[in-house]
Amino acid sequence: MRSLALRTVCVLALLQSFAGSAWAQGTLRIGMTASDIPLTTGQTDNGGEGQRFMGYTVYDALINWDLSSATKPSDLMPGLALSWGLDPAEAAKTKWLFKLRPGVKFHDGSDFTAESVVWNLDKLLKNDAPQFDPRQSAQGKSRIPAVASYRAVDPLTLEITTKSPDATLPYQLAWILMSSPANWEKQGKSWDNVAKSPSGTGPWRLTGFVPRERAELVPNPGYWDKARVPKLDKMVLIPLPEANARVAALRSGQVDWIEAPAPDAAQSLTSAGFKIVMNAYPHNWTWHLSRAEGSPWNDIRVRKAANLAIDREGMKELLSGMMIPAEGFFPPGHQWFGKPSFKLEYKPEEAKKLLKEAGFTPEKPLVTKILISPSGSGQMQPLPMNEFVQQNLADVGIKVDFEVVEWNQLINIWRAGAKDASSRGGTAMNYTYFIQDPFTGFIRHLQCNLAPPAGTNWGNYCDPEMDKLFDQVRNTFDPKEQTAILQKIHEKYVDDALFLMVTHDVNPRAMTAKVKGFVQAQNWFQDFSPITMDK
Amino acid sequence: MLLYALKRLVYVLPVAFGVSIVCFLLVHLAPGDPLTAIMPIDATAEQQAQMRAAYGFDKPLPVQYGIWLFKVLQGDLGASIASGRPVASEVGRAVGNSLILASLATLIGFGFGTFFGFVAGYFRGSPLDRLASVVSILGVSVPHYWLGMVMVIVFSALLGWLPSTGAGPGGSTAWRFDWEHLQYIILPAVTMSAIPMGIIARTVRALVADILSQDFVQALRAKGMGEWPVFKHVVRNAAPTALAVMGLQLGYLLGGSILIETVFAWPGTGFLLNTAIFQRDLPLLQGTILVLALFFVALNLIVDVLQSSLDPRIQRG
Amino acid sequence: MAAVDLSAVAIPPAERSEGYWASVLRRLRRDPVAMAALAIILLIVLAAILAPYIAPADPFRGSMARRLRAVGTPGYPLGSDELGRDMLTRLMYGGRLSLFMGVTPVILAFIAGSGVGIFAAYVGGWVNTVVMRVIDVFFAFPSVLLAIALSGALGAGILNSIVSLTVVFVPQIARIAEAVTTQTRNRDFVEAARISGAGPLTIVRVHILGNVLGPIFVYATSLISVSMILSSGLSFLGLGVKPPEPEWGLMLNTLRTAIYNQPLVAALPGVMIFITSISFNLFSDGLRGAMEVRQ
Repeated sequence: MRSLALRTVCVLALLQSFAGSAWAQGTLRIGMTASDIPLTTGQTDNGGEGQRFMGYTVYDALINWDLSSATKPSDLMPGLALSWGLDPAEAAKTKWLFKLRPGVKFHDGSDFTAESVVWNLDKLLKNDAPQFDPRQSAQGKSRIPAVASYRAVDPLTLEITTKSPDATLPYQLAWILMSSPANWEKQGKSWDNVAKSPSGTGPWRLTGFVPRERAELVPNPGYWDKARVPKLDKMVLIPLPEANARVAALRSGQVDWIEAPAPDAAQSLTSAGFKIVMNAYPHNWTWHLSRAEGSPWNDIRVRKAANLAIDREGMKELLSGMMIPAEGFFPPGHQWFGKPSFKLEYKPEEAKKLLKEAGFTPEKPLVTKILISPSGSGQMQPLPMNEFVQQNLADVGIKVDFEVVEWNQLINIWRAGAKDASSRGGTAMNYTYFIQDPFTGFIRHLQCNLAPPAGTNWGNYCDPEMDKLFDQVRNTFDPKEQTAILQKIHEKYVDDALFLMVTHDVNPRAMTAKVKGFVQAQNWFQDFSPITMDK
Repeated sequence: MLLYALKRLVYVLPVAFGVSIVCFLLVHLAPGDPLTAIMPIDATAEQQAQMRAAYGFDKPLPVQYGIWLFKVLQGDLGASIASGRPVASEVGRAVGNSLILASLATLIGFGFGTFFGFVAGYFRGSPLDRLASVVSILGVSVPHYWLGMVMVIVFSALLGWLPSTGAGPGGSTAWRFDWEHLQYIILPAVTMSAIPMGIIARTVRALVADILSQDFVQALRAKGMGEWPVFKHVVRNAAPTALAVMGLQLGYLLGGSILIETVFAWPGTGFLLNTAIFQRDLPLLQGTILVLALFFVALNLIVDVLQSSLDPRIQRG
Repeated sequence: MAAVDLSAVAIPPAERSEGYWASVLRRLRRDPVAMAALAIILLIVLAAILAPYIAPADPFRGSMARRLRAVGTPGYPLGSDELGRDMLTRLMYGGRLSLFMGVTPVILAFIAGSGVGIFAAYVGGWVNTVVMRVIDVFFAFPSVLLAIALSGALGAGILNSIVSLTVVFVPQIARIAEAVTTQTRNRDFVEAARISGAGPLTIVRVHILGNVLGPIFVYATSLISVSMILSSGLSFLGLGVKPPEPEWGLMLNTLRTAIYNQPLVAALPGVMIFITSISFNLFSDGLRGAMEVRQ
């Protein structure tokens, strides 16, 4: 009896899946690199990947990223806010006004208003608010350091005051996702319950998830941007942290799409008929150099020599072509790239000459210690890549010893700074950066007053000239003028060889030929709405 | 019998207490900040202190242990730092998956192990014995994570017969006993069975040889009783110990499967442990180790009591 | 793994003539399997020690243009790894760390474990009880679990990996040492020595050590194989050796992504672990037989 019932259920399920695929655009199953389903309540964890799959899918920010183009770096665009700008009536340039999008509804049917934004900001910033959520706050608070206060002027107008004039506020707000206050009330004011049935305004609705196993998203037909209502029936997210497991899952048809296939598997995947999609995005793989007293990297000749010693084309071979050789701190072609005069080319002879001037030769090399991690979000293939760099540097007269620490420990050391004992005398660390806006891209690495423990200027770099440029960025509200200053900053980054700039990731993903319509934006985040699945 | 069981139970309590101390201390040996995993990369010092206080990591160690133990006794293993979910439910789900895998592996290992061991013990010194010895020594000497890799290379990468990783189609691990799910367990279970197979084969071989050399058996044979009663006698006398070894092996596999589960991405306790170690998720690490160790202690107890009731010759103090 | 089965180690003959070790050696020499195993071990050890002189290439230098070559490629008899380094060279050098990290914990545990076990048994009474109960607690952890949990807690590194494995093996050896010593201690000849006025130190030195260390040693040699597998396993998980040091477990790990391109090369480091581990097991078996430690 029981087995009969079971069989009936199976048959029904089978029928249903046939029916589903016959009528609409199918189900897309994605193998993520995260080991768990990212936090579903709004502000996600698991870094850029969490925001990509559980953030901008289920939720919107006031200001979104424009993810529609594969050919140019993506820029900000109106999200839940229609327009924004400084309050012209205020001279201090710290008061911003946001016109909100009318008629937007959360998935639970409640209205999105300026009060919802205030409620969400309180959720992250106000410790004594009833809806304050330490988990989301931990993820979101440090994203908006500029915000001092905020209020709803009317249901569709929001006012935000910054601590000091800061033109980077829109970039900061692009991180902050809006969850539904009404849903939180409905779920008994418990974020644990909200996690199970969350509600945002985004193009996708979360219909269910099993921790560490899978999450299912379906389209939100009432999404405010009709052009971005998803075409698929369903999107399934599956955490597959192990690189080989992802490849195997794709090959055996368990998933249709995997993030970050191992480079060595790429060739066999292509020959087995899978597509590898990749594109530049604001990411870099660098050695962050210490500028503390006694560091050999204080000598610009050593910094330039190291940058000239790297065989970036050789590394491309190592990564089966899945990288973009660095020409600067930002990927070539980026709107902030500017025209640096120092070219990052492979010139070992010139590097040797520079090092000789600085007093080192391959026979009498500079010996120094570098901190690296065996894995980590965005670190690409850190072990072989660092070993490769090590070989390159040894050829010109820099002998590198690695101190390998766990990824999370490396983050700790990164926060503690090069002068801290935890850095164990390391003079550089291999760190990959999310460089999507002026703050994360430039300011946080090198501003004097952001030296640890105040910030993440790990190497204790301090140059008044650079600080002046950073101040200008914050005080320049005209986008064009701001871009010009950012270009100047980037030129200084490259010309002074402030980092060992090695490569940019291309965010490779492998998928079956059935996946259609995906446009890989030059961004950490992606739009899944236009995707369809062939039969 | 009952008295013996009670005695053993009383004896187990201090061990369990010791286990809890070791589990607790183990994860506090660790360098680094346990909360890094969930703090955003740019968290300020004040924000970090706040989080530490919220998770109770700012209190002295004995106090932390007291609080932890008190909660554990009520079945509360705390909340995972990385996911925020209760550790008890995470471990519970993983133990279920591991138990399926370990049980199947033990069964396979027991089947082949007894067979080889029996043949070897019965025909001591024959080529069969030597073959069985080779098999059993291979079983205990093979690095099982490598064996797993070889299995994947042969049966998944080259032949494409079986899926190499995971516990079910589409990331679903709601385990069912149908082919769609079973094909996922074959490679890890066969790989894992190599360990108990070698050990069980060795044990059974020694047992059988020992029993056959007893005067009693010699007498039976001398009386011309035929091989069947001798065989029955051997089985009856070897079974309790062999079963006991099998029971203990189940415990070892459950706790020692981390490498194999990692190779096959099997969503069990080993995989969970690996995740917990690399995310430095202290409560999850603690909870998983504690549950596995206590499970092992309990299994030992059960095996011990069962064995003494099956085999009256064993007298214990 | 390796459940400690007390029945595996029985008492050696109570009194031995001067020729005992000579006879052990003679019996061992007549055991072809044990001798073959010993030869393989010596070969691997020699290759590791002499690697700088006999290895065909530099273990750290590779070439991107010649990465992941197949076994048998001219110039690369065993292929090349993901950085284009010669596999034969890396495997020879790899033996240095793998053997060191596999054998050291057993030696350390042999010293510490015998010390603890003999001490506990000889002193007896409540000291023995306390020591053995603490050891029981460690026995409540399957050894793989304990090793990985300890390494995971201490963090990656050669030293941490050795420490973890030593902690895993000490209780096992101590338990054997305690059992064997207790049995020996109650024997007539020790009693006789005591009555004839020998001091406790003399008794331990002459009578107990002489009769006890043999079986413990045999047991310890059987742990080397387990230790090799576990220490390489730790590196395989990323909890042991750091790159670019060649070590078999770590090499196995970094080559895992190449199983679709060069399956044979990817499996090679594991073959080395397997061969070494099985040789130690066979040799240990032979030694046990030769020393007449009954199995």
